[in-house]
Amino acid sequence: MISLRIDGRLIKAEEGERVLQIAIREGIDIPHLCYHEAFEEPYGSCRLCIVELKEGGSSRITTSCTLMAREGMEIKTDTPEVIKHRKLLLELYLAQAPLSNNIKKLAERYGIKGTRFHKTLNLEDPLGGKCILCGLCIRACREIIKASAIGYIGRGEATRINTPFLEENPDCIGCGSCANICPTEAISFEDRDKRRIMRSWSNTQVNLKICKLCGHPFTPEPLWLKVKEKSTYTPSEEIEEVCPNCRIKIVSKRLVKPYSL
Amino acid sequence: MDEGKAKIIDEIISKYASRTGRVLSVLEELQEKEGYLSKESLKYISTRLNVPLSDLYSVATFYSFFNLKRAGKNIITICMGTACYVKGAPKLLEELEKLLKVKEGETTPDGSFTIRSARCFGACSMAPVIRVNDRTYGFMSPERLPAFLKLYGWKQG
Repeated sequence: MISLRIDGRLIKAEEGERVLQIAIREGIDIPHLCYHEAFEEPYGSCRLCIVELKEGGSSRITTSCTLMAREGMEIKTDTPEVIKHRKLLLELYLAQAPLSNNIKKLAERYGIKGTRFHKTLNLEDPLGGKCILCGLCIRACREIIKASAIGYIGRGEATRINTPFLEENPDCIGCGSCANICPTEAISFEDRDKRRIMRSWSNTQVNLKICKLCGHPFTPEPLWLKVKEKSTYTPSEEIEEVCPNCRIKIVSKRLVKPYSL
Repeated sequence: MDEGKAKIIDEIISKYASRTGRVLSVLEELQEKEGYLSKESLKYISTRLNVPLSDLYSVATFYSFFNLKRAGKNIITICMGTACYVKGAPKLLEELEKLLKVKEGETTPDGSFTIRSARCFGACSMAPVIRVNDRTYGFMSPERLPAFLKLYGWKQG
């Protein structure tokens, strides 16, 4: 165990733990967009989690998500310098993602009302005006779901995220992890007529599994198969291929029965 | 994917042993052979190298070196580097687009010309510069373009 100070508070931590991780655990609020606890390695692309680090007489600004905790570190999360940089970052994000409510809210929190930068709004890109290219969706799809259905396309200011050739991608299992993890709520999909349509991913269509009792679609079929393959739990035949609602009915009946006899 | 093409790709892949370092080399060599990277080729490489198609597509779109569309017989590249730009490269491009009736990045319907742009050939002293296939021509002007195109079989239409 080591100890470090964050905003004056003495905190114990494991060596090698990341400062942002420690701060989140200790309830210290450091704004961040591209960090997610689901990943072992931080990415450090959004830069919002910058903090001031004092160590051995010198101080510097660095991203807390990538910063490994060391004995005796002194971290300040909201010095005027840090806030100055964060404000500029938020202005840049307002230019890149002017349609994202999360970005607007965050900017508002820092008193940013407008941006001095040129707004980029590519309406041909389904994520246009919302995506900040932090890469969380790509990483979730690749590292956690292991589908690798989406990736960065192009380079520089023309960079986008989508499926290869902007075509429906059979690698997508329709799990929606990308939409779930997106910090700017840029990704959308809808369930329509027993199919999930990934609107952001070139309208990739995925079949939904149908509940064998009530006939309602309840989860993407490839996701269902993947979970079934990975899970060590084998459900009884009675509840297999049954939607959560019908399962509740079956299980509660089972529970109630002994008493009603 | 026809067998001939698959064989070409298999041969290229067999030259590279490194699991992680071969993606770029394979794509580069295929493009040199075929002139571009077709969708079918990328899909085939993806299964052969066990690299997701989304990765290959990212790489192929990141480097301006790679083409995803079949290029024409003659590739005309206009230098848009700073020196050429200042010396009127945008006017060259405009004129070229007018003459060939296709936009930058496109190929004429008869498959004889493709227009591209690039950043600096290192021939700034001759700005503005264009390149047709492997040859570089300096001190280019919109007025001189038709004569050059005729050298490569273009007919005013």
